[in-house]
Amino acid sequence: MSEKKAVPVFYDESGNIISSSQTILRSKTEKASSEPPRRIITPPRRIDDDISIDVNDVSVMFNLSKNREEGVKEYFVNFVKGKLRYDEFWALRNISLQIKKGDSIALIGRNGSGKSTLLKTIAGIIKPTRGSVKVRGSIAPLIEISGGFDRSLSARENIFLSGTMHGHTRKYMKSKFDEIVDFAEIEKFIDVPLKNYSSGMVSRLGFAIATCVSADVVIADEVLSVGDARFRMKCEQRIDKLLSGGTTFLLVSHSTPSVKKLCRKAAWIEKGQLREVGPASDVCDHYAQFIRNMPVGSTTPTERRTAAE
Amino acid sequence: MKKTLYEFYNYFPFLKEVIKRDFKKKYYKSFLGVAWSMLSPLLIMIVMTIVFSTLFDRAIPHYPIYLFTGTLFFNFVFEGATHCMGCIVGNAGLINKMKIPKYFFCISSVTQSFITMLLSFVPYFAVCAATGVPINYYMLLLPLLFVLVYIFTLGLGMLLCAYATFLRDLNYLFQVIRRAWMYITPIFYPVEIVPEQFRFLWDLNPVYIYIKIARDLCLNASLPSEKMLIVGTCYSLLMLGLGIVTFKEKSDRFFLYL
Repeated sequence: MSEKKAVPVFYDESGNIISSSQTILRSKTEKASSEPPRRIITPPRRIDDDISIDVNDVSVMFNLSKNREEGVKEYFVNFVKGKLRYDEFWALRNISLQIKKGDSIALIGRNGSGKSTLLKTIAGIIKPTRGSVKVRGSIAPLIEISGGFDRSLSARENIFLSGTMHGHTRKYMKSKFDEIVDFAEIEKFIDVPLKNYSSGMVSRLGFAIATCVSADVVIADEVLSVGDARFRMKCEQRIDKLLSGGTTFLLVSHSTPSVKKLCRKAAWIEKGQLREVGPASDVCDHYAQFIRNMPVGSTTPTERRTAAE
Repeated sequence: MKKTLYEFYNYFPFLKEVIKRDFKKKYYKSFLGVAWSMLSPLLIMIVMTIVFSTLFDRAIPHYPIYLFTGTLFFNFVFEGATHCMGCIVGNAGLINKMKIPKYFFCISSVTQSFITMLLSFVPYFAVCAATGVPINYYMLLLPLLFVLVYIFTLGLGMLLCAYATFLRDLNYLFQVIRRAWMYITPIFYPVEIVPEQFRFLWDLNPVYIYIKIARDLCLNASLPSEKMLIVGTCYSLLMLGLGIVTFKEKSDRFFLYL
């Protein structure tokens, strides 16, 4: 059912995504006379000043080693046996995406579809196997809940550690310190090691650090999902403030309402391929429809086995 | 190259934080704290002196300092490299979440061992005074030697770290090598007990070269031979080059193994 090919995405002359999937036909007829729409595989190489993130034909391959070669002994045993082979797994295939400055885009898709891998590639943590990623300005990535914290250190120490990881000086972090602590609401526990924090507290601290420091691109992966309703509202306000200030915002979320509320655009990733890019509400609806039509459990190995029998 | 320097400058505050953090963690909840770094080499030196002095006391003047000089530099090189091997795996939580120069953790690991060695020089000079080794001006040249050994250790650490991230049990293997290396290097015995025809092999040992330079400066109050300085510098730079090249090549794939 999901064997459908990746849907091409089209760009207008400034490189901005104008249409994809369902809206293709309309724009195709509109554009047909003036300029042939360009395929996603060969996006325009010209980067305009207003493009904040340029993901160009990115593919990421993981090695799935079945026999874990984590030791010298195993390595040599397998080397002698000639079994040093890995199963290739392409977590991302030919993803091209351009995000304009000040835009907000959500990545949606099922578990294991490659959303986090794409975020990590954009954040520069993973080097793409093929293709390139260009990011204009500084990034404040917030990958997973405990994004860049040392759990044995206190919140105070972590603020400085994390802040300098973003490339700021200690002095700058000192000036932002109170703001961060206020926003995260952790005054009482400021000198307690992070390992004693609840997951909500850690994510609050992470969000506070990533959004208090000045960054051109803010990346948030599943951060909002752990906070309570009140904190989520606070975060949403903060994100709105950032967006009005020209910050580019990337969000990974499984919550359709918050995607629709926070992001103008959404990108749907399925099995490592870009399936649809467009206005958040449209993509979310298509995605929800896709999920609804999918028989529950049809993809589990057990199911397949019983079907084969 | 220019990009790397720029990155180093940009992230320098982070390097400082990491070094500070590692230092704090090392002495966290230890009763003696920093004093332990001074006491521990002193105690080991005393034990080894008691054990070996009957064997070599006559062949070597100022045996305690002879031994102490050897263990200080040997331990710096091998402890620094050992810490380096685990630094990427140990900081996986940070490396997986943010783009940071990964070699910073190697620098921090080596710096921790370096600080330990500097602290050990406090009891070192105390032993010098106690056993009647005169403090001389040549000791002022020690910092230059520190630079050489630091560079060598960082190179070795980065090289080993690049492989230890993939092969986790490399550390155990390395500890065996460390033990063997301790016996090949004339730390507690005089090099004269090695047969003359094999001695050139001993002179190839980089760790021994550094120890020999240190002994010339501190014990013999003389300048080391130019040949030794040149070979020592070459070893440092070669090792650093090898370490950087290997680390750079392997570091893009670290995330697969963390």
